[in-house]
Amino acid sequence: MAAIELDGLTKRYGDVLAVDGLDLEVKEGEIFGFLGPNGAGKSTTIDVLLDFVRPTSGSATVMGLDAQADSLAVRRRIGVLPDAFHVYDRLTGRQHLQFVVDSKDIDGADVEAIMDRVSIAEAADRKAGGYSKGMRQRLVLAMALLGDPDLLILDEPSTGLDPNGARQMREIIEAENDRGTTVFFSSHIMEQVEAICDRVAIINRGRLVAVDSIDGLRGQTETVTTLTIDAGGADAEDAAAIRNRIYVTSAALDGDRLEVTLTRDGSKFEVLKALDERGVEIRDFSIDESSLEDLFAEYTTEEQEVPQ
Amino acid sequence: MSTVAVAKKDFRDAVQSRALWGLLVVFVVLSVLLTYSYVEFPDLVSPGTDPSIGGLVFFTAGIVSLFVSLTAIVVCYKAIAGEREIGSVKLLLALPHRRRDVLFGKLLGRMAVLSLALAIGLAVGFGFAFAMLGSLDVVTVLLFLAATLLFTAVYVSVVVGISATTGSTSRATTFAIGFFVVFEFLWDVVPIGAVYVANGFSLPQQMPDWTFLVMQVPPSTAYTGVLTSLLPDVADSLPTQTFAGAGVDAFYAVPEIGFVVLAFWLVVPLAIGYYRFRGADL
Repeated sequence: MAAIELDGLTKRYGDVLAVDGLDLEVKEGEIFGFLGPNGAGKSTTIDVLLDFVRPTSGSATVMGLDAQADSLAVRRRIGVLPDAFHVYDRLTGRQHLQFVVDSKDIDGADVEAIMDRVSIAEAADRKAGGYSKGMRQRLVLAMALLGDPDLLILDEPSTGLDPNGARQMREIIEAENDRGTTVFFSSHIMEQVEAICDRVAIINRGRLVAVDSIDGLRGQTETVTTLTIDAGGADAEDAAAIRNRIYVTSAALDGDRLEVTLTRDGSKFEVLKALDERGVEIRDFSIDESSLEDLFAEYTTEEQEVPQ
Repeated sequence: MSTVAVAKKDFRDAVQSRALWGLLVVFVVLSVLLTYSYVEFPDLVSPGTDPSIGGLVFFTAGIVSLFVSLTAIVVCYKAIAGEREIGSVKLLLALPHRRRDVLFGKLLGRMAVLSLALAIGLAVGFGFAFAMLGSLDVVTVLLFLAATLLFTAVYVSVVVGISATTGSTSRATTFAIGFFVVFEFLWDVVPIGAVYVANGFSLPQQMPDWTFLVMQVPPSTAYTGVLTSLLPDVADSLPTQTFAGAGVDAFYAVPEIGFVVLAFWLVVPLAIGYYRFRGADL
């Protein structure tokens, strides 16, 4: 059974198509990254999963349950960190968690342990209105974790966290996943997704542009490595010789700087060795692997036309 | 269960409203001052009667209805609209609550908050009256409390219902204040206006009986009707009429009409609010 299944999901707000015929399947037990620039339709999709908004057409199921008709049963089994939420300023952190325990009817919930886990134990009895952005994010993560849900839906979980907090968030996501929890999280930053996701979907302007594993996505790019060599005495002939090698897609000389791009199977060492044999003095070199970030940019910046 | 969880959370939140306790202080001071002048200078306040707890009840009712309507607006206009506007409703509805659980939970939570404030205010007010008068009719006070709690429930229901119709607090404010102004301030002219129109744009010699019904529409008028029907002896002993139905010869011209009107206000705005909230994209 799929943890999440979207079938032709469409949501229209007046003239704007926020989500446009989305088909997607998230398997049980995986960490799934939902990636796209701001305004791509990520939050709208998540809002449909939670029955905050109703789809114009198509359907969404969570754990085999219809996200609209069986929403209550869905929300009993999931933990959610929503996007653009606001805490109850006048309630303490502990009261927030108690509300989750009451709402989900959780037996033997260890509120203290959860607060400890997200590092807000010392602020437990302070009003959440006085929490920093990062602390609020941790508090709501704790609310999501209470009661060991089968599926975690996290909308931009790293918002407002410092690098340390973001790392902690990553560790918690991985630990939950190790216990068998499916994790579905959205982000507009590739780096966060790259580090922990089993699979990634990229969405842009409401449409799905790619779904694959991280390695699979990498494999889709032709050129993956750029080798920049500080080469004394290299000339156009050297560059041409390098350019003619297999696996090399380009070699450009700019003064003493030779820039060589290789496909996935190309050997950087072979290039350096060949230059050395031609009597070129290699003073230094650097390697730049084409990142998923570039791929992401490629997927999402093409023919950007913003509907007015 | 779900409703209770929401109500408990909401009570904890709303009971910390500074505006509520500020208003309570103002009204307690006001009611103590008025009680004092009612007992000490009865001719100034209510000529021709001896001060009695019964008289005081109707006298207090006027202050109470103003207090309840104002605090209900202040405490409840954001109940749903406010949560939608700032986004805390996402925390609420990410948990397994139906929208009607949220609405009823809010209703119960805010009713509890207002009832608590009212109980404190009335305890101080009647305690003071007891000290001044030296006697207190327990049954009268209890019936007054029952009617007042019903009236409070009605006002909370109206404002929570209004709050559920929109995701914007400024719109909720406008609707709630608009309701108050139209039904509690301007309503006097509505029956006359209705007759004027119905009579071909002129006023008849005598007002038709149905204008009585139109006059009973404001919740505070219905509250007085309910009090009159619960405490007929007290109402009769007062020099002024508490109920305007005396000269009207119709089956509905009885103080009990107040119960019908309150039931209407208890149910209808909330039902509209629920209908709008249930279908809303958050």
